[in-house]
Amino acid sequence: MKPRRAALVGLVFPLIAVVYFVVPTVVGAPVDYAGVTLLLALGVAVSLMAFVLFSGIQKS
Amino acid sequence: MTADATSLTTQAETQTEAHAVEAHGSGGIGNPVLGMLLFIASEVMFFAGLFAAYFTIRANFIDIDGVRRWPPLAYDALLQPFRLFTDSGQLNLIVPATIILILSSVTCQLGVNAIKRGDRTGFLRNFAVTLVLGGTFLLMQAYDYSVLINEGLTMGATTFGTTYFTMTGFHGAHVFGGVLMLGVVAYRGMAGQFSAKHHDMVEATSLYWHFVDIVWIVLFSVIYLLPLLSRKGAL
Repeated sequence: MKPRRAALVGLVFPLIAVVYFVVPTVVGAPVDYAGVTLLLALGVAVSLMAFVLFSGIQKS
Repeated sequence: MTADATSLTTQAETQTEAHAVEAHGSGGIGNPVLGMLLFIASEVMFFAGLFAAYFTIRANFIDIDGVRRWPPLAYDALLQPFRLFTDSGQLNLIVPATIILILSSVTCQLGVNAIKRGDRTGFLRNFAVTLVLGGTFLLMQAYDYSVLINEGLTMGATTFGTTYFTMTGFHGAHVFGGVLMLGVVAYRGMAGQFSAKHHDMVEATSLYWHFVDIVWIVLFSVIYLLPLLSRKGAL
């Protein structure tokens, strides 16, 4: 798999963050802003890690 | 330079470039760039922790008059990014500082593009400009801190002050680190250590600089623009 394509795995976390934000908003429960923020950032971090991992595999 | 010295320099350059090709492997990217990407991934989570704390405090903050409001009313006028002067007549440099940091990312990338073409002069010129712009940003941030402290917004004033200075302070420390890295790269560039084939450190430094720039854009949006939208009832 190409490293740039592997980085798309990080998109999973922003999607979870959207659900994590929308569900409490719709239900009327308090939103966990820390959790939403960390999930969004985790998406970026995991994308970078996946890119590095697959670039490393190509090298070796 | 004697013929022997020229021969040795050429030999050293050939070895360095061979080493660079070896480090990159076939079609991969250099180890310094990979290392920097891993470092940036960890930094993303570091800043995420700060933003998470900020949003949690923001969501639960109740002002001194019992109203849910962010930032506190006492500092509201201070944090208007598009006003050139504060109420006490001091310059507000936050928007010019933001523009300078964004411009520095542009010049940094121009420097990387130049060294990729083998244009060492262009690379050095652009990195020198980036270095100056980074230093200017830090000076402007120091001035901004002095204005805020004079107006009564200190680190211990409220939880807003604590989060504001923690987040912008950590960002400033990262900019300072970036300026040091740019200085080292410029110094090595002047010594002729980078070429079109061997410029991994230049690329790694530019990645870090772009990351620092993006963090500032997010910080600026969250601290200065989000309250503007909240006041207009959009958020």
